[in-house]
Amino acid sequence: MRGRRLRKVIGESLEAYLYLLPAFAVLGVFTFYPVVRAFQISLYRWPVIGPKTFVGFGNYLKLIGDREFWMALRNTSYYVLGSVPLTLTLAILVAVLLNSRIRGRVMARVAFFIPYITPMVAATVVWRWIYDRDYGLLNYLLEILEKALRHLGLAVNLGPVDWLNQPGLAIPILIVIGVWQYVGYQAIILLAGLQNIDRQYYDAAKVDGANAWHLFRHITVPLLTPQIFFLLIISMIGAFQLFTQVFILFVGNPGPRDSAMTIVFYIYEKAFREFYMGVASAAAYILFGIIFLLTLIQFRLSRRWVFYGG
Amino acid sequence: MLQELKRSPLYLILFAVMAIMLLPFFWTVTTSFKTPQEAQSYPPTWIPKQLRWQNYIEAWNAAPFGRYFLNSLFVATATAIGGVITSVLAAYAFAKMNFIGKNVLFYLLVGTMMIPGQMLLVPNYLTIVKLRWYDTYQALIVPWVANVFGIFLLRQFFRTIPDELWDSAQIDGCSRFRFLWQFVVPLSKPALVTLFLFRFIGSWNAFLWVLIMTSREEMRTLPVGLYYFIGEAGTDYHLLTAAATFAMMPIIFLFLVAQRQFIQGVARTGLK
Repeated sequence: MRGRRLRKVIGESLEAYLYLLPAFAVLGVFTFYPVVRAFQISLYRWPVIGPKTFVGFGNYLKLIGDREFWMALRNTSYYVLGSVPLTLTLAILVAVLLNSRIRGRVMARVAFFIPYITPMVAATVVWRWIYDRDYGLLNYLLEILEKALRHLGLAVNLGPVDWLNQPGLAIPILIVIGVWQYVGYQAIILLAGLQNIDRQYYDAAKVDGANAWHLFRHITVPLLTPQIFFLLIISMIGAFQLFTQVFILFVGNPGPRDSAMTIVFYIYEKAFREFYMGVASAAAYILFGIIFLLTLIQFRLSRRWVFYGG
Repeated sequence: MLQELKRSPLYLILFAVMAIMLLPFFWTVTTSFKTPQEAQSYPPTWIPKQLRWQNYIEAWNAAPFGRYFLNSLFVATATAIGGVITSVLAAYAFAKMNFIGKNVLFYLLVGTMMIPGQMLLVPNYLTIVKLRWYDTYQALIVPWVANVFGIFLLRQFFRTIPDELWDSAQIDGCSRFRFLWQFVVPLSKPALVTLFLFRFIGSWNAFLWVLIMTSREEMRTLPVGLYYFIGEAGTDYHLLTAAATFAMMPIIFLFLVAQRQFIQGVARTGLK
């Protein structure tokens, strides 16, 4: 009897492994193996052609002494700190707006979601032109604003701004693109959370004399914290990997005077332009380490503020 | 009526924000129909004075966009179909079968979600070169057919299918594999469509991977082709916007057709 059960378990296991094989074979070769392999490469001086020499943590030390790498860390952190809270705050406002009883909600949801599914490269080509100093839409809008203000008696000089060529503006204009692209996606996830909130909570609070701000602050936000937490993690991981927008906006360059050099751009440049695979892998591992640590911290902190049902 | 009127500030805000979100698209499409002079005129015009379809023909001929388009279509379709198949199989095992090491394998999958994809570029590039897949379609498709989010999504869906269905099918002598394709898959059609769409769009929009794994012009997909085109077209915005429009249109069209599936898919799982 026991033998038969064991045989059944083994039989079913073998069949299950067969079902898992295609997915795990691909994941094995292109995800699990490279995680280990990247670490190994990071310990070597690894030119594409020629002998590989073991250097221990030499590549990591080299990175610590590299001004450009620090610049990449700084720029990336700036982008993360700017785009993540801004996008999330706006997404909460949009979600609340979309959750109110108004007409045309379906259309609005579609409109907000389109930037998220649009090919990033095509979208960034468009932004490149919006930011153009001479023909760009943004400077034109600034000019209209300037004229309007002048009519009101305020003489201000707003432009034209050379958006794409000022080191101080590189990260801010990337943040704007990021907000535009992800605010709708985040709002949709938050909206799903909002729709799950039991109306009874609001009714009960209103009986107790709560105003709109109280309802938002003490019911909506706490009950939305699981979605907010999820988005915080996802968008942080995404923001740390900023690359394509930079690459397209500045046509293959890391912005004026490297002002938009990000960690992934640095990795790309080291690996595929200078062919230092070892240094690039070490940088990749540092990026992984940062993301891993911050995610861990977020999870720890989440116990204090994320509210999972009552 | 009075209710609606009271909400009019809300409509105003909503309308303004929507206009900002859609302005880049409006501007792209209108500029793609302007003459070169009008596209670079200042102040810019909101509506083109005449519709110049010529821009599309010129852009299409300035670079092999036809080829890029077919490459994108082929790679995205193959990736999406492959992704659905591997996910169906793996998700079924996780949802409905008992096997040794189930928890370990599942946590292994959860763990991969923390890994930034870009971290794996260097070793994956070396693997692709070693397999002699550099500059081939395999390189653009195979690494992307396994997808952890897809497995999670379908596993959740499969778990809602009652076990009694399998029990009675088994009594009728139905094999597990046949049961999966004849009963489970048809029942899960909405989830499969959602997954297919997400994988298709993800593949269509991919940039860095294609940039690294290919060098020949014939292998470029639309995003990479578009990138090289920026260098050639410079500030010929009437051509650039035409090219950007036909890189975006298939995806936006697909989205509009299936927007319900998309939005529900995202709302439910946060699928990327």
